[in-house]
Amino acid sequence: MNTLLRLTVANIRSLVRDRAALFWTFFFPVMFVFLFGWIFGGSSDSKVAIGFVDQDNTQVSMGLQQSFSQVTLLTIQTGSLEAEKAAMQHGDISAIVVVPSGTGAAVAAKSATSIQLYIDPSSSQVSQVVEQIADQIANRFNLQLAGGSSVVGIQQMTLQSTNISTVAYLVPSILAMALMQLGVFAAIPLVQQREKGILKRIGATPLARWKLVGSNVLLRLLVAIVDAVVILGIGLVFFNIQIVGSLLEAAGLVLLGAGAFLAIGFALASFLKTEEQATGVVQVVQMPMMFLSGIFFSFDFLPGFLQTVARFLPLTYLADALRQVMVNGTQVAPLGVDVAVLTGWLVVCLGIAARSFRWE
Amino acid sequence: MTQSGEPVIGVANLCKCYGDVKAVDGVSFQVGRGEVFGLLGPNGAGKTTTIEILEGLREPDSGSVTVFGMDVTRHAPSIKQRIGVQLQTVSLYPRLTVTELLDLFGSFYAHHLPTKQLIDAVDLGERAKARSMNLSGGQQQRLSIALALVNDPELIFLDEPTTGLDPQARRSLWDLIKGLQERGKSILMTTHYMEEAAELCGRVAIMDHGHILEMGTVPELIGRRFKERAVFFDTTEKLPMTQLGKLAGVTQAAQEDGQTVLYSRDVAGTIGALLALADDQSVEPRNLGIRQATLEDVFLDLTGRALRD
Repeated sequence: MNTLLRLTVANIRSLVRDRAALFWTFFFPVMFVFLFGWIFGGSSDSKVAIGFVDQDNTQVSMGLQQSFSQVTLLTIQTGSLEAEKAAMQHGDISAIVVVPSGTGAAVAAKSATSIQLYIDPSSSQVSQVVEQIADQIANRFNLQLAGGSSVVGIQQMTLQSTNISTVAYLVPSILAMALMQLGVFAAIPLVQQREKGILKRIGATPLARWKLVGSNVLLRLLVAIVDAVVILGIGLVFFNIQIVGSLLEAAGLVLLGAGAFLAIGFALASFLKTEEQATGVVQVVQMPMMFLSGIFFSFDFLPGFLQTVARFLPLTYLADALRQVMVNGTQVAPLGVDVAVLTGWLVVCLGIAARSFRWE
Repeated sequence: MTQSGEPVIGVANLCKCYGDVKAVDGVSFQVGRGEVFGLLGPNGAGKTTTIEILEGLREPDSGSVTVFGMDVTRHAPSIKQRIGVQLQTVSLYPRLTVTELLDLFGSFYAHHLPTKQLIDAVDLGERAKARSMNLSGGQQQRLSIALALVNDPELIFLDEPTTGLDPQARRSLWDLIKGLQERGKSILMTTHYMEEAAELCGRVAIMDHGHILEMGTVPELIGRRFKERAVFFDTTEKLPMTQLGKLAGVTQAAQEDGQTVLYSRDVAGTIGALLALADDQSVEPRNLGIRQATLEDVFLDLTGRALRD
């Protein structure tokens, strides 16, 4: 058997026999999926997010907004029609209510007018609920203000929504997180093996060093694939997420992402001397990245300065790319940019590692 | 000397610096085929650096270093096929078993011995399926030697093979190393146990601060410095060194590890004079004894300090 394969098998055996490593590599991300799945999984059933667009800005339109926000079933966000349409297309909200300018004036003159309701007929359950609520509010409004004559009507509009649930948004994020961790954490065993003299001992055999590195890379890529299958599997089976893109593209991104973060891990290992140091620094790198990349929240909801920070972090782009390919989620950057950024990190960090890595 | 034919190791004027520190400073020696050669010295003497340059793990700054007549920097890959290496640090893939590790290392070489044969050679048959992390210190050292033997090497490097072992484990490892010598292997080993060098090595070189201070067979080294035998006893203030040095037959007086050592050409005369002096001071020398001078004495004489300081 080829020595590269034998070394990879040795690495796999070492990983499988190390319970702590197993936990962090496989069970930690799985735990995340279930945890977030349970926290957010029910939210789309109990509350419906809608956008409210006030183009009128009169007592009437504000009264209407108040009526909608008093409905406990709904959560309301306001904004321009364009922004809300975009949000609905991204799946952040399920419907939009638009009060056109002139509505207030029309009500005052008791001439018939209408508010617009954007719904996505394909998600019939949600749109039915929103329709009923809007009807009730309009009726009540007509009773109070116009004495029963129907002044305010509802004009139904349709808008295709991707109807992405919070869980569907989170699954690619958690996969990205797992890939980031498996790559960055690869620094630790490498530093450990150097500190213990394993790298040196193997250096005294005729084994080519690239095979030693290659077997490490093979192991991690294998783990990346297993992680991806497990995390997506849970998403599909337990939380009904749907994969819209091609699996081949997704697999390619998983490998590219794992490769980029492995390169970061190797670059880190070049500068770290002891195992304790490595454990500390790896945490300092991965923890902020996990939270600042906004992988758990929609990018648009991040405060401005966090968006700036996130735009510098490779994890943002991996999560974005995976989301686009898997669930067609909110786009931070075009897919091509995501791939370019990840490739850039891969090449630069590999270069650093190749120049600075010490075997002892 | 059991040397025959061309030397397996030739080192001439080897120098290696780390920053301003001269770890190895002008070292020259040769090791013949079938010879067990020992590099002796305290920690930091430059033994490990020397051995790692020979193994192709470090590049020399200057000097010529050949193994099997080939330059180590230019022919490292083919040299590595024919040498066996045991390093001070032994923990290799702690979660792999003895068998798995030997199989793995065997695959690194063009030719390798059957794993079963290696396990038997180092007497690890009962632990063949044990993970290396669960082996005792002595067993780990034996595994480490089995790994060094995996390619049936002509030349074996052993770097402090018995450090940290209990006396019984050390004895059994000595037997193993003697067995290798009987099978015609050439061995270069480092140690800071003089007793170990005396037991195993045909020739030794004593190193300190990057230099070789003295080289030869153990009896040669001792004979060159000490025609005397040593009289020793627990050091006591009532018997000052100045007076002891003047006793009959004494050529030199020294102190090490709480003991006073008098090197004497006339042991009977020295003991008589010592007891008379002690009687005068009304003390009795405790743990009084006589022995041949050892490598420890040679080292103390060469450097003015004990080997394990």
